[in-house]
Amino acid sequence: MMTLSNISPRSQQLITPQIILLAALLLSAPLWLTAIGLYHYIGLEIVIWLIYAMGFNLLFGYTGLHSFGHGAYLGVGAYAFGLFQQEIAVSLWGGLIAAVAIAGLAGIIVGLFLSHRRGLYFALLSIAFGQIFWFSAIKMRWLTGGEDGLLNIPRPELNLIFTKVDLNDNVAFYYFAAVILLVLVILLWRLVHSPFGRILQAVRQNEMRASFAGYEVWRFKLAAFTISAMFAGMAGGLLAMAQQSAYPDVMAVHQSGLVVMMVLIGGGLISFWGPVLGVILYFVARDVLGGITETWLLWYGLMFVVMVMFRPEGIAGVLQQLKPKSAKDASIRRQVA
Amino acid sequence: MTQLAPHIFNGLTLGLLFALIALGFMLIVGVMEVINLAHGSLFALGAYFALTLIGMDPIADTGFGQWWLGLPLAPRYIAALMFAPVLAGGIGMLLELCLRRTYGKAPLYGLLLTFGAGIVIEEIIRLGWGTGEQYLQVPQAINGATFFLGSIYSKYKFFAAGFSVFAILGVWAFLEKTPYGAIIKAGAHDSEMVRALGYDLSKLRLLVFGFGAALAGLAGIVMVPIWGLRPHVGIDVVIPAFLIIALGGVGSFWGAVFASILVGLTVGVTGAYASAWSMMSMYVLLILVLGFRARGLFGRASALEN
Repeated sequence: MMTLSNISPRSQQLITPQIILLAALLLSAPLWLTAIGLYHYIGLEIVIWLIYAMGFNLLFGYTGLHSFGHGAYLGVGAYAFGLFQQEIAVSLWGGLIAAVAIAGLAGIIVGLFLSHRRGLYFALLSIAFGQIFWFSAIKMRWLTGGEDGLLNIPRPELNLIFTKVDLNDNVAFYYFAAVILLVLVILLWRLVHSPFGRILQAVRQNEMRASFAGYEVWRFKLAAFTISAMFAGMAGGLLAMAQQSAYPDVMAVHQSGLVVMMVLIGGGLISFWGPVLGVILYFVARDVLGGITETWLLWYGLMFVVMVMFRPEGIAGVLQQLKPKSAKDASIRRQVA
Repeated sequence: MTQLAPHIFNGLTLGLLFALIALGFMLIVGVMEVINLAHGSLFALGAYFALTLIGMDPIADTGFGQWWLGLPLAPRYIAALMFAPVLAGGIGMLLELCLRRTYGKAPLYGLLLTFGAGIVIEEIIRLGWGTGEQYLQVPQAINGATFFLGSIYSKYKFFAAGFSVFAILGVWAFLEKTPYGAIIKAGAHDSEMVRALGYDLSKLRLLVFGFGAALAGLAGIVMVPIWGLRPHVGIDVVIPAFLIIALGGVGSFWGAVFASILVGLTVGVTGAYASAWSMMSMYVLLILVLGFRARGLFGRASALEN
């Protein structure tokens, strides 16, 4: 039985071979993206959704809390970034900090309601809250521009000490987002292997036992919810920059379901790296299948259904099964030792 | 108060319609502890099947098609009302066969599978019937407007609300007054015992899921003349159904009916004061109720809580 709680090798290290591989892939991507028939903007989308999905998996995969309304925090982050630029000051870091802070605040408020719930009722309430955010974004025209969205959000320039970088260039912006992603991935890797991360996994495996062991479980659920909302907020801020606008549609329940699909298909239930595979597969499938047929979502949906039926561990699960037996035994021996 | 009366009346009608939508959903949750997120898509599918049964578009040029279109609308509508849910029920049974692999696992997998299935059905609808808005014709007898207590009401809403009451009572009588209902309820309560008594539980589950899907299709046919028919109408439907079950409590028949009417009244009365926010009031209601009663108003313990 594969689960996330199998102690991964090198869990104490800050930088692992997988992180180096991801960094190499991300940083070299602009060089070969166009060569394989894709384009730079898709790299940007993948990076942004990776931030969103990896933060989401802290809640979904690690803590076992199945939120179906997480798009709300992505949207809140996007609006916060846009409104900061338009109402307060044109500032890159100011906007991103506002996006993370406001999404985190929304996460704490909602999390306080949700942290005593689990299972179905958690999922239900997360949908209800997600719908409230979505509905408010549509109806509060004076703040969000309603269904037309918040338009003309600038991409402020990045102020390094010795030089300024114009982020209006998609490649420059891509590198900026990719570096943020790498920093967040390293943070997240440390977080899930810290004592805090272990308790989150204990909550997933048996909430009652965790509480009998003396942990105030609701605080950990609240913390996981808030952190993943902050990740979504960061992704939302970057999304607002990428699109140069913010729309309510990312907050709709369908879109919130998409991130669940991506994380599950990739194998987020059994692997830290599951969301990476899932997000890349989704966007590549959207563009490649979408180029061949207009009904690509039908095929993606079918693939998802088949995956849930036969391989709920996702792509990461398939990859782990393909690993040679000896390596697997070695890793089991390491866990026992 | 007199100004509020039509809003209360509208809310009551809406509540009965919500109950009709939630009926099939409730049956599947109550018996199988599966949250069927494809419910909305089956709802839409039922309405699209009815559209085709009434119009017979694919074979309109054949002799049978010509004869069929020559009939008045009323018998064609009644035929659609009878057969389209059966077709939707058949699709539901297919879905149940896929769903079998998730039994015994965490409820999350059933939820995810039906979510994916909902997307697939919606895309098939887009392929088969196009993406635009369509209209389901209804016979003249139940169309148009009527005066009631000095206000104008649509006749069709009366028909739909009356039909809901009829369907609710029918399902209730089926569950409470027939031996089949007793087996279904026993299956929800203690599946091992039901199996030990010699009943084929997998067949039972197949039938219950088919029945629930047929009810979804039936609700679709009755509802879309009011709400309009689009491929993505399902998502507007599954969320209220979901909400009503949570509010009423999993496994409680009258709890769900009561919750539907409560939601309908809340939406109706909010509509009187702030019409733009009326649909949001039901989410606020849910959060308020679940804030105080975790299992909903009349819920009992369920595997879905874990």
